[in-house]
Amino acid sequence: MSLVTELILNADSEARYPAPKEIRIFQDFLKTGEQRIRIAQTLAENEQRIVQNGSARFWERCPVTPSNSGNPRKTASCQRDQGWYIRLVAYSVLAGSEKPLAEIGTLGIKEMYNSLEIPLRNLVEAMRCIKDEAVSLFSAEDATEVAPYFDYIIRALS
Amino acid sequence: MQDAITALINSSDVQGRYLDNAGLERLRSYFQSGEMRAKSAIAISANASSLVTQAVAKSLMYTDITAPGGNMYTCRRYAACIRDLDYFLRYATYAMLAGDPSILDERILNGLRETYNSLGVPIGATIRSVQAMKDVASDLIGTDAGKELGVYFDYICAGLS
Repeated sequence: MSLVTELILNADSEARYPAPKEIRIFQDFLKTGEQRIRIAQTLAENEQRIVQNGSARFWERCPVTPSNSGNPRKTASCQRDQGWYIRLVAYSVLAGSEKPLAEIGTLGIKEMYNSLEIPLRNLVEAMRCIKDEAVSLFSAEDATEVAPYFDYIIRALS
Repeated sequence: MQDAITALINSSDVQGRYLDNAGLERLRSYFQSGEMRAKSAIAISANASSLVTQAVAKSLMYTDITAPGGNMYTCRRYAACIRDLDYFLRYATYAMLAGDPSILDERILNGLRETYNSLGVPIGATIRSVQAMKDVASDLIGTDAGKELGVYFDYICAGLS
């Protein structure tokens, strides 16, 4: 779900046209389209780099963890998941809403990783490192658009 | 429902991919057409009941359908008819804002033809009135915006026939 869909469903639940305030929000959102596309492209192009640098940073802070256990399969699947979260953040930036991230990646996140026996506290730390790496690629303005979605993942895990 | 943005997100996600260049290009043109969509929605919401009146005058009012024995005869049926046209206009406006017709299927078209058939509402006349609404709305919002809005009115007609 995007900001646009959210706004339409809100209006529809009251069987009315979008109110002036909602139209204003819609206009402001679409005006920032270029910025959103730029951010999503940067995340896509740098996904591997973010994951690699983020992992290095993470293992320094937290050396005893499944992804650093010497089992290449575990390392690969942890890093694959981290890459997926970067992709979901890119979706959410485009949609202007945390909903794509929530619907695909955070509803049930704790239950899933608990059942996979991944320590949540480590995962939080890993996400912080990924966030720091990702944010460092952007200008201050673009960073404020990206960072809250990583914070959203971290909150869902804690 | 989905919109121009979530439609692309959903189809990328099932492949585990970022949006490709073609997708981003489509998104860019949606973002750039935002002003046109917003202005049209403002104009339509300010004139909704007049658009319905004009569409009815243009397509149904002076035909047998409003005479005794017709499906719009009796105030109750007339009222139901303009209520439906009002819905079509509002949902077409939503779909235009979204840049995607899925809300029309979900909220209007699923089961509508069957409902109309069981109520004896003539599909042909309904389609004529939707087409008339497309014309009067296009007069109000201008040719370019009218063309975009027309896509969703045509979608309703296609779903009915």
